[in-house]
Amino acid sequence: MNYELVSGFETHVELATATKIFCGCSTKFGASPNTHCCPVCTGQPGALPVLNKKVVEFAIRAGLATHCKINTTTHLDRKNYCYPDLPKAYQISQFDKPLCEHGYVELESGKKIRLTRIHIEEDAGKLVHERGYTFIDYNRGGVPLIEIVSEPDISSPEEAREYVEKLQLIMRYIGVSDCKMQEGSMRCDVNISLRPEGSKELGTRTEIKNMNSVSFIEKAMAYEAGRQAEILSSGGKIEQATLRFDENTGETYVMRTKEDAQDYRYFPEPDLLTVKIPQQKVEEIASALPELPLEKFRRYTDVLGISVQNARLLYRYKAVCDFFDRCVLLGAGAKNTSNLILGTIYSTLSTEEEKEAFDIRVSAEDMAELVRYVDGGKINITLAQMTLSKMLKVGGKVSDYISEADLAGISEGELEELCREAVAANPKAAEDYKSGKLKAIGGLFGYIKRATQGKADIKKAEEIIIRLLGNDK
Amino acid sequence: MAESQREQKISKEQFRALARLSRLSFSEEEEEQFIAGFEEMITFCDGINSEIEGDASSIREVDAREIALGDLRADEVVPSLPNEKILSNVHGERGYFAVKRVVK
Amino acid sequence: MSGIIKKLSSMLQRGEVSASELAASYITRIEKLNPVLNAYVSTTFEEALKCAGEADKMIRAGMATALTGIPMALKDNICSDGHLTTCCSGILSGFRPYYDSAVWEKLSAQGAVLLGKTNMDEFAMGSASETSCYGAPKNPVDVTRVTGGSSGGSAAAVKAGIAAYALGSDTGGSIRQPASFCGTVGFKPTYGTVSRYGLIAYASSLDQIGPLALSVEDAAIVYDAIRGKDGRDQTSLTTPDGATSLETDIKNLRVGVPEEFFGEGVSDEVKSAIEESVRVFERAGAKIKRVKIPAFKVALPVYYIISCAEASSNLGRYDGIRYGYRAENFSDIDDMITKTRTYGFGTEVKRRIMLGTYVLSSGYFDAYYKKACLLRGQIISEFDGVFRECDVLLTPTAPTTAFSLGAKSANSTQTYLADICTVPASIAGLPAVSLPCAVGAGGLPIGLQIISGRLRDGTALAAAAFFEREAGVTAELCAEVKL
Repeated sequence: MNYELVSGFETHVELATATKIFCGCSTKFGASPNTHCCPVCTGQPGALPVLNKKVVEFAIRAGLATHCKINTTTHLDRKNYCYPDLPKAYQISQFDKPLCEHGYVELESGKKIRLTRIHIEEDAGKLVHERGYTFIDYNRGGVPLIEIVSEPDISSPEEAREYVEKLQLIMRYIGVSDCKMQEGSMRCDVNISLRPEGSKELGTRTEIKNMNSVSFIEKAMAYEAGRQAEILSSGGKIEQATLRFDENTGETYVMRTKEDAQDYRYFPEPDLLTVKIPQQKVEEIASALPELPLEKFRRYTDVLGISVQNARLLYRYKAVCDFFDRCVLLGAGAKNTSNLILGTIYSTLSTEEEKEAFDIRVSAEDMAELVRYVDGGKINITLAQMTLSKMLKVGGKVSDYISEADLAGISEGELEELCREAVAANPKAAEDYKSGKLKAIGGLFGYIKRATQGKADIKKAEEIIIRLLGNDK
Repeated sequence: MAESQREQKISKEQFRALARLSRLSFSEEEEEQFIAGFEEMITFCDGINSEIEGDASSIREVDAREIALGDLRADEVVPSLPNEKILSNVHGERGYFAVKRVVK
Repeated sequence: MSGIIKKLSSMLQRGEVSASELAASYITRIEKLNPVLNAYVSTTFEEALKCAGEADKMIRAGMATALTGIPMALKDNICSDGHLTTCCSGILSGFRPYYDSAVWEKLSAQGAVLLGKTNMDEFAMGSASETSCYGAPKNPVDVTRVTGGSSGGSAAAVKAGIAAYALGSDTGGSIRQPASFCGTVGFKPTYGTVSRYGLIAYASSLDQIGPLALSVEDAAIVYDAIRGKDGRDQTSLTTPDGATSLETDIKNLRVGVPEEFFGEGVSDEVKSAIEESVRVFERAGAKIKRVKIPAFKVALPVYYIISCAEASSNLGRYDGIRYGYRAENFSDIDDMITKTRTYGFGTEVKRRIMLGTYVLSSGYFDAYYKKACLLRGQIISEFDGVFRECDVLLTPTAPTTAFSLGAKSANSTQTYLADICTVPASIAGLPAVSLPCAVGAGGLPIGLQIISGRLRDGTALAAAAFFEREAGVTAELCAEVKL
């Protein structure tokens, strides 16, 4: 029998606020242990949580960017469970009234992955097991999270990858999170079940916890789907369980089964009040949303005429889009701009992180100026590439590299003179051409390019040379 | 009251599950005694089911007190406390809270 | 004039005594009486003398308030920087918070002199202060009797004159009931008017800090000093101005007497003392109304379900990792947590944690917790209805006078009944004051409870001040404690 994969995601995203969700401690990553701490985030007796406004605003932004309905009356709940990384023995989260509900994330194909809900909650601390000790650091305790829960709409590991990448992009575009999976600021729990192809019923699912890389997600899903298919094919039953993916072996392992399922004893957090969000504020946040990734992608391909492949390479980095959009706004042609970015600039940015940061020495203003010269035929693309390369290396303005004379171009007379020189200096190439080896003309172009440092109009030079050689005949 | 007449409100298994959730443990002996007292408390709490005269339809949720979004805390960093303070009620190790795993 | 704060304050202002001398005299009296009364579980004499020195400077600089230099006490669940604060529980043994509670921050800024922390039921769970891990405090009026609870140490300290006033906390009657048993004034303000920051939580939606004092005026002065919105407690509220003027137009006061508070279990002497108190208001021209609060009969179970549910969650943090007691022999961190809690908590606390876990667990949530919340709404609307036609309600504070030490601890749901008259106002978050209204058999004080509407704290206090003047029964200091 053929099986169909059914998968839903629970994604935790750390919000990029300056302070924690319930206290004024910094959220900065990488500090010495227990130095971003206070009575509130270490669960001292008598300390009380005070909700951070920006957390709510960021979560609303995330909700609106994923087409959710915003609950303008919302409250927080306690999720009770005892674990050493959770200093109060409860996590303040949201249970029956999440801030955002009923949204979706659209894939490039147009398929929509529905979102059940997005709620706000606090992160836990970090445990380190070492030398017979358990060490606990609460710096991360109380860092704000949103949990994005999807419907089981994902039907392949490839779709899962796109879904996660889209979420990542959306959150980065709207500036609520850097979504760095390797630093843990984005983590996924993946639910997986199989059902006979065409069936409507959902099978028993397993959940792979805490995935922190897109490629591991793909691998884990493929492995788990295979494992389940094997069991089902041999007439077995899937046991509902929470799994862990071992990155070294590429296999999943059972952490706990349904029998030891937790009873979280949710109840409304009595230390916090119900939050009332004015509709006007929701509209304000909605109208301030930037262009979202898929909108941008479609504008690049449909309006600006950039190829799908190139548009993909651009829109996956927010900073690149900002740079590109600014250049276009300043009058630079989209095609020449994208070609220069993807060719010349990307060749200096080797890693994803570097492209993400897009920290280059050329301003959009200079870039636009350069591209406008190319667009207007004042310089050719080769010179533009060379100039851009130099600027990327040592900085400076376009005018530092390209003189008035360069822009003035080479006069018809000068070019003709150069062409004569080229023919004279390469008698062999000229002869070959005349004897019908038309490709030999390339050798003559090389001479002209070298002599003009690439700024001569080669098309024009070709016309002249053909004329010259023809006349000699 | 004879033991058999006493209404069994909670089984031993249930009691142990609650103890696990509460992170408490009871010896067999304590368990017996505790369950009896515990059942008495549950019976006491079952008092919420006594009938109240008057309009039962007036039963409603407590009006939750509200706070406007604008009145929530501004996202401004307040200096954290020094690590020595954070660890002042416990024996810390290299800035961490630490629990030694004792193997019996 | 009753009360002691203004008397002491004017002596300090006039220079008849210095704050340091006053502190020293209180310390001497504590050393004499506390070994018997067990009102204090830890003392902060060094801090007291330091505070007194500061107070003397403030007085000389003309910056004194009524509370500057006045020696006082905090209940053992109210945090102060560097001082033992243990909730009278083994699990918090040795715990010294490194932060001040909002209330102590306010009082210390006014030059209050902290003498120490007072005895209480473990985590405020009890009605006789007998669940304290330090043993029960004794009632200064009769040392064979309980002080009531949970703020029993605070009430005993004030009555015995070993603190001019004290702060307590009230979750279901924990300020008012011991005030009634010891013959002091005790005031539980409207929920939210005093910041809970630094109050170690029992049941967050019910806990409220308030004063125990020797007169209504003293209680009002202290309340005035500690109230106010606090950015660290989102449930805290701004209170209307002039809440503590203590002035009332008695002829236009509408006084309600809810019949349910006089039911089974309320002793005859208490009933007649309260009826007599009602007549004091009636004679002065107040309009008396007999009213009904039918949901009274579910108030106790509602209170126990909600308070235990919240407590089971609030007390989850005591795991031995960050503060307090840690068990010694354990196999792993999980085992350590379970052993710490098993050895660290007392029986009553464990019972309430277990009950709270039970009423929140799946399968029981709707039948208990959710239903209790609905009934809480019912109780609130019934009070709302009553306060549309009344300004204050007069009720007993406790069904009986102070019982003998050890008499009731064997049967714990029996002791829950001691809270029957105080719990309704707690559930509704209403302000309520208890003050002595009569002396019962054995010379034991009887308390009158005056409840007013939400944020009408001044109305309850003013009515109490009127009664205090008119009835001539005052919360006098028990100068001679029979040891």
